[in-house]
Amino acid sequence: MDTNTVNYKTERASYYKVLVGLLLLTAVTFVQPHFFMTHSTFLAQMLIAVVKAWLILMYYMHLKGEKLIGAMVIFSLFLVSFFFIITIGIDVPNFQYAAESYITAPAAH
Amino acid sequence: MSHEYIPEIAIDREGNEHEVQGWQDDFYGGKLGFWLFMLTEVMMFGAMFLALAYYNTLHPEDYFNASASLNRVLGGINTVILLVSALTMGLGLLKMRTGDVKGAKLMIWATIILATAFLIIKGFEWKAEYNHGVFLLHDKLLVGPGTLPFGQKLFFGMYFTMTGLHGLHIIIGIGLMIWLLKRINAGKVSTEHHILHWNIALYWDIVHLIWVFVFPYYYMIGAAGGTGGH
Repeated sequence: MDTNTVNYKTERASYYKVLVGLLLLTAVTFVQPHFFMTHSTFLAQMLIAVVKAWLILMYYMHLKGEKLIGAMVIFSLFLVSFFFIITIGIDVPNFQYAAESYITAPAAH
Repeated sequence: MSHEYIPEIAIDREGNEHEVQGWQDDFYGGKLGFWLFMLTEVMMFGAMFLALAYYNTLHPEDYFNASASLNRVLGGINTVILLVSALTMGLGLLKMRTGDVKGAKLMIWATIILATAFLIIKGFEWKAEYNHGVFLLHDKLLVGPGTLPFGQKLFFGMYFTMTGLHGLHIIIGIGLMIWLLKRINAGKVSTEHHILHWNIALYWDIVHLIWVFVFPYYYMIGAAGGTGGH
């Protein structure tokens, strides 16, 4: 991204548009548990958070058009997601020590 | 400490002088380095979210009930405060890039005030939780009769750790912004050399970005279960 050529009015308008979008999404965050996807609140909340994060990354953090840094961010997110999938998707459903583990049954200790 | 830029001169075979590119003008290098630092932040908070999700999967009901007891009004106000502070910080950087240094400084001050308001509200929230016995090493989080269910202890342990670490980032951010103001006043940060301003704005955005996930995970997953608020 060329930081030397600045169109103040255009960029300022972009900042305000993103602010409005983020405020609307925050409002959706508050009403979601009562109005839609009520049985999947966690999933809905995380989806809203991802959209908000995308807006912040692209416009407030100026990632739009940044190929190298964008690739770095995607790689780090991939790493975090990889460990999430292994831990939450594979390890937890096959947890074998629920009866004796301190993180599941402290009374056993 | 002075950082006066003294250009290094290289002379080619024909005797012509060329100014060597100094790090002060390496805008992209400065930005890239700071992004690398921020990715370590993503890894750190990512690992914490992983622990949170792990315990959540093992104790979904306790997590739901603990989340339902948090004060969503104060959490929501803090969400909006951080959101607006990200705007003021961004506008400040934009003003700096377009030559309005005075406007940029005003926007940085606005961000500092909003960040302080965030901390004050967070302090009230923690105080209310403390008064209800819900705090690290406090009655309801210890082992024994009359304490919270085990999953809720895990929830609150993670809650105080992560919101505390996030709060520490806010305090560091305020310190960085005050330092930035001093550098601007000293003429070390200007429209031509604004990488420090750019990177501190990026830092503030990552602080905001972390809260974008902290808020729904802690405050909203149990929102359908109660009005919230200790």
